Amino acid sequence: MASNLIKLTRRHHPVNAPTALSKLSEIVAETGTLTDEDIRGVAADYRLPEASVYGIATFYDDLIAPRGERHVRICTGTACFEAGDADSAQRICDGLGVGIGEVSDDGSVSVAETVCLGFCHSSPAVRDNDVIDAGPGVIERVIEGTTVEAGEPPMRSLLAEPVLTQPGTWAGLRRALAELTPEDLLQVEMKAADLRGRGGAAFPAGNKWEFARNAPGEQKYIVANGDEGDPGSYIDKYLMEQSPELLLEGLALAGYAVGSDQGFVLVRSEYPQSTIILREAVEQAEAENLLGDNILGSDFSFSVTIVEGAGSYVVGEETALLACLQGLRGTVSARPPFPAERGVYEEPTVVNNIETLCNVPFIAAQGAEAFCNLSPGDSAGSKLVCFNSSFVNPGMVEVPFGLTVRELCEEVAGGLKDGAQIKAVQIGGPLGGILPASLLDTPFDFGPLAEVGCMVGHGSILAFDQTTDMRALAQHLLRFGAHESCGKCFPCRIGLQRAYELFSDDEPIDRESLEQLLETLELGSLCAHGSGMPAPIRSLLLHFPDELGLR
Amino acid sequence: MQVMIDGKAVEVEPGTTLLEAIQGNGGHVASLCYDERLDPFGACRVCMVGVEGAPGPLPSCTTLCREGMEISTSDETALRVAAAVVELVLSELPEAPGEHTALAVVAKQLNVTRTRWTGAVHEKDEDLRHPYLAFRHELCISCGRCVRACDEVQGAFALTVTGRGFYSNVTAGVDSGFAESSCVSCGACADTCPTDAIVELRLLELAIEQNGSGE
Repeated sequence: MASNLIKLTRRHHPVNAPTALSKLSEIVAETGTLTDEDIRGVAADYRLPEASVYGIATFYDDLIAPRGERHVRICTGTACFEAGDADSAQRICDGLGVGIGEVSDDGSVSVAETVCLGFCHSSPAVRDNDVIDAGPGVIERVIEGTTVEAGEPPMRSLLAEPVLTQPGTWAGLRRALAELTPEDLLQVEMKAADLRGRGGAAFPAGNKWEFARNAPGEQKYIVANGDEGDPGSYIDKYLMEQSPELLLEGLALAGYAVGSDQGFVLVRSEYPQSTIILREAVEQAEAENLLGDNILGSDFSFSVTIVEGAGSYVVGEETALLACLQGLRGTVSARPPFPAERGVYEEPTVVNNIETLCNVPFIAAQGAEAFCNLSPGDSAGSKLVCFNSSFVNPGMVEVPFGLTVRELCEEVAGGLKDGAQIKAVQIGGPLGGILPASLLDTPFDFGPLAEVGCMVGHGSILAFDQTTDMRALAQHLLRFGAHESCGKCFPCRIGLQRAYELFSDDEPIDRESLEQLLETLELGSLCAHGSGMPAPIRSLLLHFPDELGLR
Repeated sequence: MQVMIDGKAVEVEPGTTLLEAIQGNGGHVASLCYDERLDPFGACRVCMVGVEGAPGPLPSCTTLCREGMEISTSDETALRVAAAVVELVLSELPEAPGEHTALAVVAKQLNVTRTRWTGAVHEKDEDLRHPYLAFRHELCISCGRCVRACDEVQGAFALTVTGRGFYSNVTAGVDSGFAESSCVSCGACADTCPTDAIVELRLLELAIEQNGSGE
């Protein structure tokens, strides 16, 4: 993003006021589409260049797909790919008499695709205005106009004392304000706890906080990354909707340690309930003086603003997230500068994943040692994992690190339904490798998974059964990858399109060309989207070469 | 601080990028999105160099020098990635770039003579509504140089990147052409464009067109 535009945005925009992007989303929700006059109007109201607002309006999925009175969005996430028939989208289109990306002539109904609605425990899922329906019969209900709210996933903890699966009590913030200096919270508890980021990169959260704390600048910000776009994952959705107090407490603790009085949660628009619930939780916490000015009578003040995204996977990348938070095109920026030096409105900013922040109240309340003792292995703390609807017991489970993937799949989740056999599992989202059944004894932990080309990632475990067509899976993943590329760096922008095209016809694929393309993506891409999309394709090349139609 | 460039010790100021250090000492690295008048952008991934101890090649335009760094401008992997990227770029255009363009020059430097990739190319979309500036969207490679020149040099904010992924492009105003935008006809965009997607219509061509003898 061009540098003066950021300054211009900041000049005319109070920090926690709605952005031009929020306004554009609002117009689409109300009128179904954006006209040039709408774009000029928003540019004038927000004192932004018309071209810049046009650029924003053409970036986000929510702003592009025209809407009828009834807007039907079909989930095309990987869990829905595995659960659905290849023609389910077509059946909906035929049944409603309107194609994908179209509105019926009378404006009554429109259909679009979306990834992912976070109902992977009962795929396939479809969003009908703000009702998300999922599971067997959903296609028929959509066509008949009788959709119902799908049930939330079951949740349980394998830990003697659950950390992430019980409601927040604000005990960590109370202890910190009464007993710990910000420096103590950072050094004695957070850094000692070695809490690693749960969003995929596994970077130590305490180090991020320290960078931002030490960065020059009066105003600092804490941003919770609620853009859990990884298809197959609904962990952050669960936390935002079922334990919003834990997240808000974690944000406030980060603010206390770093020296920030303002936090944000950027919530993806595919999770409409999360935004509503978080806003209510912020109001409640303010009413109880757990957020706001002089929290619990202390000198510490901290506010939280909830911001909604507009449909873009790459916005989960931290620099793109900050661009979206400021209402701009959600494209990735080269680092340095890192957000810790120059983030929201060019001020030092911490960006943490939702689950990462939800661990902080436990660490603040019970200390680093208690946190480290939660798991027997190398990694501290616990992890939420979630299973897709292929399993006998789909849903969310809080587990210690170190169980094998087989134990998780077969004992915790009960194996696959109807006696089906696991062919492979994908862990942690579309940028994670694919683990074949022969390697299910790999421990579920950062190091061992990395050794077999996989990752903990977001913690989703998505099973493919014996009927899964691996070439179709590769095509599905690359279609997603190409569609979601932000378009900034050339390897990802063009390379993922070419990779998708290679898998999109019945022609044999030249293995050498494919491998060279994967190398270019891995070594050349600007962010983890382009460099990570090859991981599952590499796994398929390694473990299922005969099924890919190579030459 | 001191860094080694292709085996030669070089003194640089803290905050210097690898590309600045290389160019400042007579070296050369091919690139497409870099323009020394603009902030480094890191989009094209062509200016890759090898750095001793790094897990892979690094973009020289956005990587800062560190004391003792050993930089190689002839690193095999870096040049292979750079050439592969340029081959991908050639594949998105419906026609080969003009010989005098920066893209053609870079392709030649990296010995990229053809592209193996078939598939989608940018659709022809020629905009001749402005008297001095022609926009051929099909030649746009989304390097953002024009958008950044308009922002950082001229401050006119007439241009934006549009769309996303493979279908990214650049346009003026509300896709309304230069004339119906905040463009001040400074020509900075055409000056920096590496593919002739934006070109200044020469006065002579203009005269021919106005005399009615143009095609």
